[in-house]
Amino acid sequence: MRFPGLVENELLKFAKQRRFRVVVLILVALIGLIVFAQSRARERYHDKNWRVETQERMARIQNWLRNDRMPASSRRWATFELGRLQYHLERDIDPEAISGPLFARAFANASSYLLLPLLAIVFAADVVSAEFQQGTIKLLLTRPVGRARVLASKLVAQSLAITLTVVFGGIVAYLFGGFAYGWPGWDAPVLTGFRVGGDIFDPSTVRAVPLWQDAILVYGLAWFAALCVGAIALLTSVLLRSTAASMGTMLAALIAGTILPRLASQWEAQKFLFVTNLPLPDYYSGSPPPIPGLTVELGAAVLAAWAAVAVLVAFAVFVRRDVLA
Amino acid sequence: MASDDIVLSAENLTKRFGDREAVSDVSFDVRAGEVFGFLGPNGAGKTTTIRMLVGLARPDRGRVRIRGLDLARHFTRAMAHVGAIVESPDLYRYLTGRENLEHFARMLPAGASGRIEGLAALVALSERLDDKVSTYSLGMRQRLGIAQALLGEPDVLILDEPANGLDPAGIREIRQLVRRLSAERGIGVFVSIHLLSEIEQTCDRVAIIHRGRTLASGSVRELSARAASDRVRVRARPAGRAAETLSAFGAVEAAAPAVGATSLVGGDGSGDGVVTARIPPDRVPEALRALVSEGIEVFTVERPVSTLEEVFLEITGGETV
Repeated sequence: MRFPGLVENELLKFAKQRRFRVVVLILVALIGLIVFAQSRARERYHDKNWRVETQERMARIQNWLRNDRMPASSRRWATFELGRLQYHLERDIDPEAISGPLFARAFANASSYLLLPLLAIVFAADVVSAEFQQGTIKLLLTRPVGRARVLASKLVAQSLAITLTVVFGGIVAYLFGGFAYGWPGWDAPVLTGFRVGGDIFDPSTVRAVPLWQDAILVYGLAWFAALCVGAIALLTSVLLRSTAASMGTMLAALIAGTILPRLASQWEAQKFLFVTNLPLPDYYSGSPPPIPGLTVELGAAVLAAWAAVAVLVAFAVFVRRDVLA
Repeated sequence: MASDDIVLSAENLTKRFGDREAVSDVSFDVRAGEVFGFLGPNGAGKTTTIRMLVGLARPDRGRVRIRGLDLARHFTRAMAHVGAIVESPDLYRYLTGRENLEHFARMLPAGASGRIEGLAALVALSERLDDKVSTYSLGMRQRLGIAQALLGEPDVLILDEPANGLDPAGIREIRQLVRRLSAERGIGVFVSIHLLSEIEQTCDRVAIIHRGRTLASGSVRELSARAASDRVRVRARPAGRAAETLSAFGAVEAAAPAVGATSLVGGDGSGDGVVTARIPPDRVPEALRALVSEGIEVFTVERPVSTLEEVFLEITGGETV
């Protein structure tokens, strides 16, 4: 009857089916592996003279800045770089080395393509189909609770679970990263706001923000993308009524999303596919988008549209369809 | 009019799958405190009807009313009065019995969770309540399903084949439980059973469904009497000539030597025998006069009360349940 009770039911099902445990295990194992592999590779190239080198670079930049004929945009960049090097030198951190906070932010970028959507699917792809397969849908829908409320409770529960997953991913990434690369560095300045328009690099929108701000934004984008994937998986779960079919469909879509932009980047219409837009954090951080004309705003809008349509169709079908299974 | 006693009514329920009409114009009423049996061979449309009763499937035509509330228009208010098991007692196998009951209690108005202990005791599951349902036997799952159905203190209990897959002891337990619930709590129980003996022992009234249509409904006694209404059993001598004479008034179904007859003369029909014929009630005196004028000795004339099984076979044209 009370909506929170319904959401509690759905969360209980996730927990008792060991979904949370699986997700936690995957995150810990994967992030641990990445950190281990990276630290092994880094040890070989570690530069012991970084302090001297950084001081030399700062001196060079100061020389440039004395040059009056320098364009304003380059001057802004040089000023930022000087500040960044200064920040690291003062805190005795190698500016070129990775830090715990940097690693944590990079994890959001790297996992938004595949890992976080995958974990979203772990929760969402069988949220309705499992009830059909277990036959429990017959009890669930013959209680004095409207079908729309039942599905809404499932949508809320899976969104909560996905949110927890992203938060937990960030925490684990920082724990492992901090342990391997050092804990401080959340207020290190980073550049943000890159726009790649055609072939010209336009630095006018670039600005410096502290890393923690940047990380929150990046995680927010990864979280948003994962929520949208969850909404679409809810639809396949409602439509296909089979967990295997629903998971398979979503997996195929995700994999297609990682292949398509590489193999057929000329096909511009793919920027309206949801899978192409999952790396929102990358588009935001300024790596050149695989498809011309793709921006973080457009990507977020496309994802939101897909998720909204998926949720609408899922509700329309779920509320109306006869349960004969 | 005792219409306020009617807790569940189906009015002309019709459901089509493509061209096939799975359920056609099925109507019946279930009253408070009675056990209503729904009988029919497999594929007759029982489960489809039940799915319409609990709102899992929409009827193409017709209406379901629960305590007078139209199910299609007031789903949540109507379902608050219903407890149901559809097809099989499918509960969450990865949850314990208690967790299952708590889960469904959260889907009911506040207070349902307070009934869990009492209901577990009622269905004799208290000791296993904290075990996972995956470890339960079918009978235990059936009983947990009934406990679940009773959580909301329903006025209507809908049970689909509750005896399915149970051993005789399990079947008897469920039957006693159902009888108790209707007698003590005044619940109207709608139950589909395919075991005819169970229907006779469990139900107050029955409806027989065949190929999607209700062919007959009424109390178990009424139905039996109805099918028997034109059947006359005559013990006479010589049986062969009696059968011949009676055939002029209606179809003769059987002629057999009487059990414990005083004299039996071979199989030529010249001895004492029992002839069963279908003769309309108003022609029976005429038929008896004809027997007497033929010089046939008539010992007994009776209207047999047939078993529900006979009724069923007759109504469905000999298809087994």
